[in-house]
Amino acid sequence: MVFLSLSCWIRSRGPDRYWKVQDIVKNAKHFRGRKNRCYKLAVKAVRRAFVYATKGRRLKKRYMRTLWISRIAAASREHGMKYPVLMHNLTKSSVQLNRHVISNLAITEPRSFLSLAKVARARQQEGFRAALGDGKEPVGVFSRVVLLQ
Amino acid sequence: MSSFSRSAQQWATFARSWFLIDARMQPPGKIATMCAIRLQGKHKPIYHAMSDCGDHIVVMNTKQIAFSGNKWEQKVYSSHSGYPGGFKQLTAAQLHHKDPKAIVKLSVYGMLPRNLHRRTMMQRLHIFPDDELPDDILANLTEELPQPREIPKQLSEFTQEEIDAFPRLWTPPEYYKMK
Repeated sequence: MVFLSLSCWIRSRGPDRYWKVQDIVKNAKHFRGRKNRCYKLAVKAVRRAFVYATKGRRLKKRYMRTLWISRIAAASREHGMKYPVLMHNLTKSSVQLNRHVISNLAITEPRSFLSLAKVARARQQEGFRAALGDGKEPVGVFSRVVLLQ
Repeated sequence: MSSFSRSAQQWATFARSWFLIDARMQPPGKIATMCAIRLQGKHKPIYHAMSDCGDHIVVMNTKQIAFSGNKWEQKVYSSHSGYPGGFKQLTAAQLHHKDPKAIVKLSVYGMLPRNLHRRTMMQRLHIFPDDELPDDILANLTEELPQPREIPKQLSEFTQEEIDAFPRLWTPPEYYKMK
């Protein structure tokens, strides 16, 4: 038999409200105050948090690079060189290691970093000889860039 | 060192060293930059702002600090007590006479980053006007840092033979009166 009156009034108004709310509130569980529980406050707080996270992903790349640079500068000063001299001479010697890798080498592989510093120092001396000399002496080993095919 | 256990290696890496700087005849700014770099830990490849990797610095002989130029008379240290009419200005010479440690302390304070770590880093800086250091600090010192400025030799320090051996640049005429 078909129920025409009472059961037509009972409707299911979206059976998944709980999960929709939880999807948002679960991202706010570590917040302070009522915004970690109440949906209306949590929505605003979570949206702001996601905006900050998006902006932060771009800033993180900048912060990490400055951190790598300061670490490489500290390690190169331990070996009597400055950061700009080191990096410029490494690029001139076609050493294509990025700052991430060089800073990790400086921390965990000190002897490899020392050898990089020596390469840079040798290339610097060759540059000085080429600039100050007469051109009669041949350019040094590190100045001859080997082009891989 | 690779034979250390992990915790021992960590302990050795993050240990705090004690540096000694002799500030005799040195410009306080150069002393302060050396101090500020080492107090922050920026001389270490493991540097991170949050890792508390700064070292202790002991500066001695700050009474014999040497400003270049006319800074003893021209450099002004200002302060305000907070009360009306409490603005005080002291020249570097007056401040140094009043407190021989203050110039180095203020220079280092101004070179540290302006955050809450600054006060802790200043607590790790130990300044002494003379070269008498207390025994507990003497026991902790690990390394002495080279002085940033070469002290020029004074005329009284030259021996008579060196003065005589120096080539004569010009002979003054007879009527010339030397000071």
